[in-house]
Amino acid sequence: MIRAEGASLIYQDHGREVAACRDIRLTVHPGEFLGILGPSGSGKSSLLYLLCGLKVPTHGRVLFEGRDLAAMDDDDRSRLRLGAFGFVFQQPYLVGYLSALENVLTAGAGRPDPDHALGLLDRLGLAEKAHRLPHELSGGERQRVCVARALYGRPRVVFADEPTAALDRRNGEQVVRLMNECRDGGALVMVTHDEHMLAEADRIVRLDDGEIVSIEPREPEWPEAGISNGILREPDPLR
Amino acid sequence: MPVFRKRLPRPLSPITYLVRNPGKTVPLTAVILLAVLLIAGVVAIMDSIPYSIRTIYGYSRLLLFAGPRGESQLTQDIVERFRRQKEVPVERIAVVRAAPAIVRSIVGKWPFAVIGFDQKDLPYALKRMGTRRLEGRLPRQGVAEAVVSEPVARNRGLKIGSVLMSPDDTDNYSPFQVKVVGIAQSDEWFMFADKDYIRGNHFPPIDVVLAFAPTESDQVRLGAWARREFKGERVQLLSFYEVERDAKEMFRILYAILNVVIGILVSVIALMVAMLMNIHQGQRLVELGLLQALGHTRRRLLMRSLTEASLLVVVGWVLGVALSLGLLAAFKAILLDPQAFSMQLWNPQAMAYTVAVPAVVLVVACGTVIWRFRRFDPVGIVERRLV
Repeated sequence: MIRAEGASLIYQDHGREVAACRDIRLTVHPGEFLGILGPSGSGKSSLLYLLCGLKVPTHGRVLFEGRDLAAMDDDDRSRLRLGAFGFVFQQPYLVGYLSALENVLTAGAGRPDPDHALGLLDRLGLAEKAHRLPHELSGGERQRVCVARALYGRPRVVFADEPTAALDRRNGEQVVRLMNECRDGGALVMVTHDEHMLAEADRIVRLDDGEIVSIEPREPEWPEAGISNGILREPDPLR
Repeated sequence: MPVFRKRLPRPLSPITYLVRNPGKTVPLTAVILLAVLLIAGVVAIMDSIPYSIRTIYGYSRLLLFAGPRGESQLTQDIVERFRRQKEVPVERIAVVRAAPAIVRSIVGKWPFAVIGFDQKDLPYALKRMGTRRLEGRLPRQGVAEAVVSEPVARNRGLKIGSVLMSPDDTDNYSPFQVKVVGIAQSDEWFMFADKDYIRGNHFPPIDVVLAFAPTESDQVRLGAWARREFKGERVQLLSFYEVERDAKEMFRILYAILNVVIGILVSVIALMVAMLMNIHQGQRLVELGLLQALGHTRRRLLMRSLTEASLLVVVGWVLGVALSLGLLAAFKAILLDPQAFSMQLWNPQAMAYTVAVPAVVLVVACGTVIWRFRRFDPVGIVERRLV
């Protein structure tokens, strides 16, 4: 579904070339839970941004269903993100003057569907707090609203960039579990430096210094499409 | 389950932001409102001075003065030339005498004239001035009596029996007390007396010709004819044309100063609002970055911000205009009307001056928003690099 073909992201830092990602070759399959693991500064977030089109590679390319993201203009990439992707960021960013429910409705293309949004909040245990403003919610609750927002547009892929970083262990695990349970067949790509959070992952990509060190299990064993993550789950060496 | 549809169905509508963030939107709107109020007020009050002149001397739309300059024998010649001309119909020609008096205006005393008519011309003159009703009576021949219009009575605080002119009053001097015997219900400003009294007691000893055309448009044509006819001669003409021309000339420099002051005011306000907008947008970087990261296009977010800025500016302007109209109406009713001071409440010129505020603020605000968006990186926001 998403394929990175030798994608690199190199930027200038005070006249010095820094490679955030180097020669990434990776495929994200439909329905899978792909974990991206690595120490701080290893290029995990940069890889995530390359895969979702928030950044375009300086070398190589990233394809979504055969379309090169770099060939699209900024607005087309935005529309793709809104229509096909969901996002959970490190910080539980919500629009401060909108209720939890309205925040969920900011995601997804097409007509607002409050019933669907309320259903998601209900599944995430927030039905009673749907009309509260972000400052009336705890950190864990806010991140769950972010999860509901990420899932609202029935995305093909949910991208989560260290979604548990601002939460304690218990809340963090709950958020990952809910994200995994509620994605309804969409793929989940999650970046973390905490291996425990990837207990449910189908595959784990390990990064170091902007390069893929390993992919477990190996990529060729994966079929291309049409299989849910439950069927695809393979023995996980980390468990 | 809570019912959502009763609430705002479009969370990202510009209205939602404006309504839910009064702490940010009200001060911005208030700045624009106050600027509009200030400018509309200043311009309306300034403009009330020439407007007063046009109002006080408005009766000159209905007649044409033609008086000899220092050569009193010319009067009969002037009359003959008005009679001989065939270009514009003349309804009546009256030979009158005038005496100086004053009326009060917002900027002090203005010269006015008590016009002395022959008895036969007085009823016509009153009718010509649009008198709807006469309270009291007309002045008698050779007697120190006058009839004044209702605005003059209000302006000077006169009633029937009041003294219009007297030996003690240097501004309204007459050797005998001239008493008001009639108040004419008319919108025009005038003071009429008997010609024989004025002729016998006032200087200069010059009879003036008043020429009345049948309609106001004919009056304009008659004025144009007279300016051509008497050009370069020892004849002084006074019609509404001259009043307008002199008022414009008198206030040309004043308006130039006003333009500079308002230009500076608009620049300062625009700069202030631009800075507020900049802070405002800066405070929303997380929101805008987040929405762009989620997939809202830059164009859509930009349009949303521009719509918000436009709504703020338009609402500020409309409220400013409404408030200024309200305050000016109160100012007029409480302070001006009792003395018949003139002010145009719905003053297109004052309103035109206020348009500069929203126009410049909108341009600066849009420029600020566009500039902010050009330098915008959503990844920097969601990675907390810019927060």
